[in-house]
Amino acid sequence: MKVLVAEDSPLMRRIVVSLLETWNYEIFEAADGEEAWQVFLNQPVSLVITDWNMPKVDGLELIRRIRKANTPNYCYLILLTAKSEKGDLVTAMEAGADDFLAKPFDAEELRVRLREGERIIRLQQRLMRQNAKLRDTQAALVESEKMASLGQLAAGMAHEINNPIAFVINNLAVLRRELEAVFELVAKFDQLRQHALDAPPELLQEIAEFEEQCDIAWIQEHLAPLIQSSTQGLTRVRDIVENLRDFARLDQATEEELQLSRAVSSTLDILKYMIEEKNIRVELDFDPVPKVLCRPDKILQVIYNVVRNALQANEVGDSLIIRLRRRRDCARIEVEDFGCGIDQEAMSHVFEPFFTTKPVGTGTGLGLAVSYGVVKDHGGEITIDSEPGQGTTVRIDLPYKPSSCGTPAPQPIAAI
Amino acid sequence: MPIAKHSVLIVDDEADVLLSLTGLLRREFKVFTANSGAEALEIMNEHEIHVVMTDQRMPTMTGVELMQQLRNEHPEAVRIVFTGYADTRAVIDAINNGELYRYLTKPWDPDDLIEVLHQATAKHDELVAQAKLRNEMEGYLNDAAHLASQANPEDVGAEFLTEFNSKTEQLQNCLQRSGDG
Repeated sequence: MKVLVAEDSPLMRRIVVSLLETWNYEIFEAADGEEAWQVFLNQPVSLVITDWNMPKVDGLELIRRIRKANTPNYCYLILLTAKSEKGDLVTAMEAGADDFLAKPFDAEELRVRLREGERIIRLQQRLMRQNAKLRDTQAALVESEKMASLGQLAAGMAHEINNPIAFVINNLAVLRRELEAVFELVAKFDQLRQHALDAPPELLQEIAEFEEQCDIAWIQEHLAPLIQSSTQGLTRVRDIVENLRDFARLDQATEEELQLSRAVSSTLDILKYMIEEKNIRVELDFDPVPKVLCRPDKILQVIYNVVRNALQANEVGDSLIIRLRRRRDCARIEVEDFGCGIDQEAMSHVFEPFFTTKPVGTGTGLGLAVSYGVVKDHGGEITIDSEPGQGTTVRIDLPYKPSSCGTPAPQPIAAI
Repeated sequence: MPIAKHSVLIVDDEADVLLSLTGLLRREFKVFTANSGAEALEIMNEHEIHVVMTDQRMPTMTGVELMQQLRNEHPEAVRIVFTGYADTRAVIDAINNGELYRYLTKPWDPDDLIEVLHQATAKHDELVAQAKLRNEMEGYLNDAAHLASQANPEDVGAEFLTEFNSKTEQLQNCLQRSGDG
């Protein structure tokens, strides 16, 4: 244990230090408060024994500075002084001293006080570790609660949106067909017009003007593409809803054994165009990993999402590293890019649906949200390490056999 | 003369869906609509309906409940349910219990829907033909047995008559067994 001794009297300092040496402490010496403060700033000392009256910075001031510095590890402070009135003790304790030892003291007394200090430090350290653990647990709880309620929201939304989408897509199909009929009818009338010799000239004139005004040729040319693009837009909405349902995990399907190395290779095949376009160097570092019992389509989707994100983050010529690791209970896939990284603010939202940092229109913000849902559903874990400007590593741990390996739901195919 | 259109009854509590589907189907089918299970049952009693297509999620009576009732009262009508995703469980059970011909998810593909309805009407015609076959076969076989008993073995051949009688009896047994099932 590192102990700092601050004492301006060389003799007194010598006595304290030699005692400490016999008890095997690692000792730093200072002849005044200022020197002691400098030592404290440069060394993680756990215990300080300081004289009260010292030149430049006295013991009280040193204690105040140390307390104010608020170092992560607790520092135990013993004030050593000739003053022994009760009032002094109160002043010293209020400044932040833990203990108070009046000179002259005997060696035994110093020893037990130091031991007491060590005990307090150990307790303090244990408390801090437990606090940190509690904070992590609480954060994880809040996170999982948040994701669960988002899942419910998504499920409800998916169902409600499906209804209007259903009839609007259908309406467009009807409109497309009926408009064709109307156009055909218009064409027939157009033919008829040449034979309508008895028609009132004002009416013919009116028709000709209206035709020009509404630009019937434009309508005939463009209505079909307009309807088609509306249908495509709605199909996209439908697909988003589909993805949301995956995030909400409404379906169950059969599980199969999946060779992860093969899954990664086939994903890279699909993304080949991006890899070539950005001239990405792909490094594969595969340990032999047992097959994983999972829903292959879902896991492939996760790998695809993560690898695509990595490729999008990378600059031209960057590397992409994909590792497969065999762990005790799970297989680990690691995807590392060297792109822009994720800042702390974005990091706290990456798994939320519709959160995206990509330009409008390029990402739906569902990739990682869906991946999170799928991996959780398999009893696995997806975590992200990122350093802004350095790159990002996504880690997916998949148990070889998910514990929630339920009976597959019957396929909704029907016959009489 | 054009062949008479098949009649289709659509049941959904959402008027938008009824209008939309009527628009899609009106050219190829005779379309009836109902906004509840109760109204659907009324229409079924008043008109000859070949295919019933219902939404699953409706207040008071679900699609599957409606279908269970129709199966008993109008077994010749082919039954289809369409549904969103959250309530597939009830629908899958209904399919497994033989209560439905098809199940469609929302949103449906318009072309697929028309295709399914054509299959359903064909199924209906098949069911009607089978029912007719079953209903009239008994009388026909009895007539056949009666005729055979009147026939002169010397005219038709004794061996043929024995064989004919045994075949008639076999078919009567078959008919009885299929009626039990």
